[in-house]
Amino acid sequence: MEDQSYRLIVEYFEKTISDQGLVELQEWIEAETGNLEKFSETIQILEASKLYFKEPENAGASWSKIQAHVNHSEKKALSYKIHLVAYAALFFLICGIAVIGYRFAVPANPESLEYAQISNQDGQHSRILLPDSSIVYLAGGSHLKYEKKFLGRQRKVYLDGEAFFDVTHQPKRAFVVQSGEISTVVLGTSFNIKAYTDEHKVEVTVKTGKVGVVANVNGKSRLLKYLVPNEQIEINTESGLYSSGHADAQALIGWINNNFVFYNTSLKEITASLEHRYGVKIEFTDPELGAAKLTAKFKNIPLKQVLEDIETLTGFSCTVKGKHIFISDNDQKGGKIME
Amino acid sequence: MYPEPTDEELVALLKKNDSVALETLFNRYYKILCQFCSLYTKDYSAAEEIIADLFIKVWDNRKSNIILNVKNYLFVSAKNLSINYQQKKKEPVDSIEDLDLAQHFLQERDTPFKILSGRESYGITLKMIDRLPQRQREVLLMSRMDNLDKHKIAAILGISVRTVETTLYQALAQLRELLKNARNYTLGS
Repeated sequence: MEDQSYRLIVEYFEKTISDQGLVELQEWIEAETGNLEKFSETIQILEASKLYFKEPENAGASWSKIQAHVNHSEKKALSYKIHLVAYAALFFLICGIAVIGYRFAVPANPESLEYAQISNQDGQHSRILLPDSSIVYLAGGSHLKYEKKFLGRQRKVYLDGEAFFDVTHQPKRAFVVQSGEISTVVLGTSFNIKAYTDEHKVEVTVKTGKVGVVANVNGKSRLLKYLVPNEQIEINTESGLYSSGHADAQALIGWINNNFVFYNTSLKEITASLEHRYGVKIEFTDPELGAAKLTAKFKNIPLKQVLEDIETLTGFSCTVKGKHIFISDNDQKGGKIME
Repeated sequence: MYPEPTDEELVALLKKNDSVALETLFNRYYKILCQFCSLYTKDYSAAEEIIADLFIKVWDNRKSNIILNVKNYLFVSAKNLSINYQQKKKEPVDSIEDLDLAQHFLQERDTPFKILSGRESYGITLKMIDRLPQRQREVLLMSRMDNLDKHKIAAILGISVRTVETTLYQALAQLRELLKNARNYTLGS
């Protein structure tokens, strides 16, 4: 009888109780004084135990961890096949050569995997429309390579330098930016990546949406972090150390409009940005000067004025010789070389 | 993602290296597996990690035929992985939990009307659930999970449907007893 009453209460709670059962339950509750209490206590336990479960909080992170693993193992599988593909390619190459002579004047067949490459000189910006209608703003001194048609499961681009990406949302195909050993994986968001190879640093900042940053460590993909808007991760590609924190994405992508905002940034980093922006070469007479830290905003102003501001802020002096600029410490060197 | 394929179709697609099939399975089972896992680990973020690793295992084993019924495979593996996890970390947790409980009661005593109003005392009930014998706790909580009826619970735990029912009723009776004692302790001492 004990079991029977619990069965009825559970069925009542799960709303699977029959009409007959409902009548029985009613009768049982009225039969004894303690039964109503037992009924309400049991219902309360059932309600509470439903609350025992939390909602998953890190589903996104879990998935990108899995995805990183899947992508990596696909890559490995590919390399087994590559021999076979190489022979096949050789065969087609031989056939191809025969055909090309004939086809010489005819436009080439664009079906195969072709890459487009865009390189910016220092001091030059460009806005690139990718085949999936994502937009890339490529900064000076930067290089972008991408498939002319995104045919694969991923939309993959390669970046050396700095660029702001506004990616169209395609839930089935991730957009992957490869910069050295660091990949940035997104579905549809906007974010900025600064990854000049010679600076040995990759910096990813998110403006909208969610971005996964994956490192390739000893051949294994590893998710470093999921970033949300106004979060930034900075990875030292030499030491492998990384740190993340908050950043003002809106200010950071000001470079698109030639607005530079630096918060407590070393002079060396600032001059590197200026080099890319204005197409000049900036050198320090004493490398230690580069360690000075500045906070400054340069809103689309000529280089001359930027240098004046730096002089005012640091007390150093800037000497311009054609495309070369030398920064020296007044106290040590005494006076300008040129007027 | 595919519209509404069955588990079997997804497993077939997996064998063809289709990672979208994996994603579909992930979306279908991730939440419930994490909840299930947390029954054993009592630690939700650990549960999420275990389940992420489990899906990686599914991908690595996609070519072999060990996955006959993917749902059973997922639940049974999830349980084994959680128990391994539990054994590895040799919990010093219990004493701390008791401490929390005492504090909880102290707070409750400050505001007696909270004890009387039903919803506020869910906290005690949830803590008492963790004091149930393991099997009773499993059955009570699993029967509260969406999409798990007593037949599925019986299959996962490897016991009969009848045993699932009686265990559930035992759990309810036991829990009422525990709660009654807890309440007396709160009001009395």
